[in-house]
Amino acid sequence: MTGAEILALAMIVAFIGLVFTGYPIAWILGGLAVVFTVLAIVLEVDFAIPTSVDWFYTSMAVDRIWDVMENWVMVALPMFIFMGVLLDRSGIARDLLTGFARLFGPLRGGLAIAVTVIGVLLAASTGIIGASVVLLGLLGLPAMLQHGYDNRLASGTVCAVGTLGILIPPSIMLVVMADRMSMSVGDLFLGALFPGILLGGLYVAYLLGVGWLRPARAPAARVERMDLRAAWRLFLAVVPAGLLILAVLGSIFFGLATPTEAAGVGAAGALALALAKRSLSRKVMAAVVEETSRTTAFIFAAILGAVCFTLVLRGLGGDELIARALLGLPLGPTGIVVCILIATFLLGFFLDWLELTLVILPLVAPVVAALEFDPVWFTVMFAVCLQTSFLTPPVGGALFYLRGIAPANVDLPVIYRGVAPFIVLQVIGLAILFNWEGLATWLPAQAYGG
Amino acid sequence: MTEAEPPAVASAPGASFPVRLPTTRFSRAVDRVLSAVGRAASWLWVVLLAVIIVNVTLRYLFQEGRIELEELQWHINAVAFMLAIAYAYRVDAHIRIDLLSNRLRPRTQVWIEFYGTVFFLLPFIVAVLVFSWDFVAHSWAVSEISASPGGLPLRWLLKGVLPLAFLLLLLAVLSRLARVWAFLAAKPETPP
Repeated sequence: MTGAEILALAMIVAFIGLVFTGYPIAWILGGLAVVFTVLAIVLEVDFAIPTSVDWFYTSMAVDRIWDVMENWVMVALPMFIFMGVLLDRSGIARDLLTGFARLFGPLRGGLAIAVTVIGVLLAASTGIIGASVVLLGLLGLPAMLQHGYDNRLASGTVCAVGTLGILIPPSIMLVVMADRMSMSVGDLFLGALFPGILLGGLYVAYLLGVGWLRPARAPAARVERMDLRAAWRLFLAVVPAGLLILAVLGSIFFGLATPTEAAGVGAAGALALALAKRSLSRKVMAAVVEETSRTTAFIFAAILGAVCFTLVLRGLGGDELIARALLGLPLGPTGIVVCILIATFLLGFFLDWLELTLVILPLVAPVVAALEFDPVWFTVMFAVCLQTSFLTPPVGGALFYLRGIAPANVDLPVIYRGVAPFIVLQVIGLAILFNWEGLATWLPAQAYGG
Repeated sequence: MTEAEPPAVASAPGASFPVRLPTTRFSRAVDRVLSAVGRAASWLWVVLLAVIIVNVTLRYLFQEGRIELEELQWHINAVAFMLAIAYAYRVDAHIRIDLLSNRLRPRTQVWIEFYGTVFFLLPFIVAVLVFSWDFVAHSWAVSEISASPGGLPLRWLLKGVLPLAFLLLLLAVLSRLARVWAFLAAKPETPP
């Protein structure tokens, strides 16, 4: 290893170590770029070890930042966030859940299934794990507990579904991943669709099974009987929002709109729904745009920090170092990919999807390409591994987000035991996806009317 | 200044700095300006939404692709998110991994905030500001316009947003540092 490569390794280690200080990731990444430029210059000037990183090299950071600014695809990000925040703040999300709960409630395990359907439909557009787990936890958990659901089953459902949302399109995580992997957002959305549905389907099958075999854990809820008026209200709550999500995905699938345009149209649709519902005061609107700003800004700030970090890491030869180390593993191509995915799973314990997507994914992408795996399939696998990691005890992020808002009788041990069966389902899903690559690659190949 | 932030259902928990910091006259003045800028800039998302809708409508109803409207979309996006960075810093929306840090004493956490700001954030901002000087100066000297035919003429102005956003961030950071320092100066270290 050359002096520069040792520095590159130190940079990665420093990043992972500093993350634990709780200082914002964006600034750690940006700061490390500057600090390691200084170190590289010191190494070169004082110790005559060539590093090829100097101030002139690092000044390209500004061009990288400009690339992010003029990136047209990333315009989809704020629009999807706007749509998600709006659906949440205008009460449309709440109406949807109440509606589905009445529809599925009388079925054993039905309330949990309602939460699953809502999570898949809505969490998608928020795409932030903490946010979707909290949203479902606040809306769905009390309803399930009230109707006598086992608190382990209820909390496991919320964690699993809340994290599943990040990989169901239109998820902002997938937008960022596609951008970093230089692949089409549409392809990745379509690639993630069947795997997402597969996992959602596994959840529903499990919940139905529990309801059937252990009715005491997921009893049928006594809800008001459906009359015509209630059915109409349900129709009004569910159909437009469902259509909205379908329209966004459909227009991308048939090549009618770019993801950016689809995001804009989706946001406009959410706005129209909220207006029709008369739940949009100036105050709510201000809250929605400001929250959109905050969420968008923290994601973009992390991206800006990460492009500078990656620039310096590349300069030090860090990406070649990682590639050589991975390709040098005494395993076949499949073994190497499995190693990468296991490492992803472990890193997901203490890094959020944003850091993993911005820092780790670009490092391993060339290796996966060199081994001739399909990039869409790999990215989807990467995403599912991340999601699994977020709900795995003892440190999965979703568990703590839920604990933060759950009532006292849903403590961490309860949540730990609650998610266990869902982790088994995740592993089954991962195994299926690993063996049938077509689940991720077939749909993108059919799209765009081609 | 006790500014009532709207109850955030969908904001990521654990993302904000867990210790309440005192404010100073300087920080209050700066934060008021930054909040005003951030809130005003937030409405750009609605403008962006409108531009996308107009663009899509024009294309489907009148088969007319407008390059300037496409450029306008990422122009607005760039201005909106760049200006929002300082605002998000001010309201502390930036993601933190608080797995270990929230078990530390408040004072330790504030020291981490101090060192993180001085050794990472400030150098980053200063470096970007210095690097962006040539980048923007060149663009302004030639009054740079869009490279594509029919593109927008104000490329030089948009590039100016880059240092502007980092200057706003610098202000926000100085305000935060003033508050961090006020906290550290106010309470003397208690012996363990």
